[in-house]
Amino acid sequence: MKLENTKAQMRKGILELCVLSITSKEEMYPSDIIKKLKESKLIVVEGTLYPLLNRLKNSELLTYNWKESNAGPPRKYYSTTEAGLNFLKSLLDTWNELNHAVNESTQTITTK
Amino acid sequence: MNKIVNINLGGFPFTVDEDAYSSLSIYLDTLKSHFSQSPGYEEIMYDIEARMAELLQEGAPGQGIISSKNLDDAIKIMGTPEDFGAIAQDYKEETFSSSSQSSSTDGGKRINKRLFRDPDDKVISGVCSGLAAYFGWKDPLWVRLIALLLIFTGGVSVIVYLILVLIVPQAKNSADKLAMKGEPINIDTIAKTVKDEFNGIVERGTETISDIGSKKKKIAQGLFRYDQPYPRGFLF
Repeated sequence: MKLENTKAQMRKGILELCVLSITSKEEMYPSDIIKKLKESKLIVVEGTLYPLLNRLKNSELLTYNWKESNAGPPRKYYSTTEAGLNFLKSLLDTWNELNHAVNESTQTITTK
Repeated sequence: MNKIVNINLGGFPFTVDEDAYSSLSIYLDTLKSHFSQSPGYEEIMYDIEARMAELLQEGAPGQGIISSKNLDDAIKIMGTPEDFGAIAQDYKEETFSSSSQSSSTDGGKRINKRLFRDPDDKVISGVCSGLAAYFGWKDPLWVRLIALLLIFTGGVSVIVYLILVLIVPQAKNSADKLAMKGEPINIDTIAKTVKDEFNGIVERGTETISDIGSKKKKIAQGLFRYDQPYPRGFLF
């Protein structure tokens, strides 16, 4: 089960980065965010997104607008705030560092 | 033939098949119990219910009745409690200095047992069954007998019982009930607790209805016998 935990940890950090990035380009509601993630092959179920969005909103990295919808209840359209954009930039820097680090260390394994 | 239930989900009315209604109740209650320990829990539940309403409307447009299949399809998109559990476990570990939770590998270890009154198994206020649960005894009968013995021999007065009712909190939600029994609190145990409760309510409900039914039948049979010219049982 440790493997599952580690995988979940990895995905969780990346999920934040992807969500903030997606909503920085255009405001979206959760169901569309999931679609975008799916397009990039990052599969999550909708339910895991709601607590995450709530947390990011409470940390003021995201904000939302209510929009009426014909298909049912009014929807929350999320977009990244100024603080969110700064946060995103730091995350991207870290991601690039890690990406580099992983490539380096795994390369030494395969060449042996 | 099945019963249907009218519900309000996310502000929208739905007509739901009885079985789908039970599954939906269990699903939402499990999520509620799971998120109740997080800040912003009401907002999260609101969002989830609103989205479930949207999904169900897509699945059964117009005046359609929501079936178990519609519900299963919606849950597949939203995610099962297990899917939530996998991610939310980490979320909780980082947000709370958790006193009642460790990783999923604790396998039946007694963690931080707390004394509660048990509302599901009470004769008066659940004090005795709460105490029994705390000591790990499945049957509260012995605690009740000892309590009565102490009261009637004058060793302990009824006032002590009343004090316990006042100061020992009642186990209100699934997390409390699990802590009362010293069981680990994670999404699986919460789901099981919610399910057991629900089945308990349904069973008790159907018992009473069939009891009333058979009583009426016996009275009717006693009064009106087809082989007699007039009703029997009162003046005759």
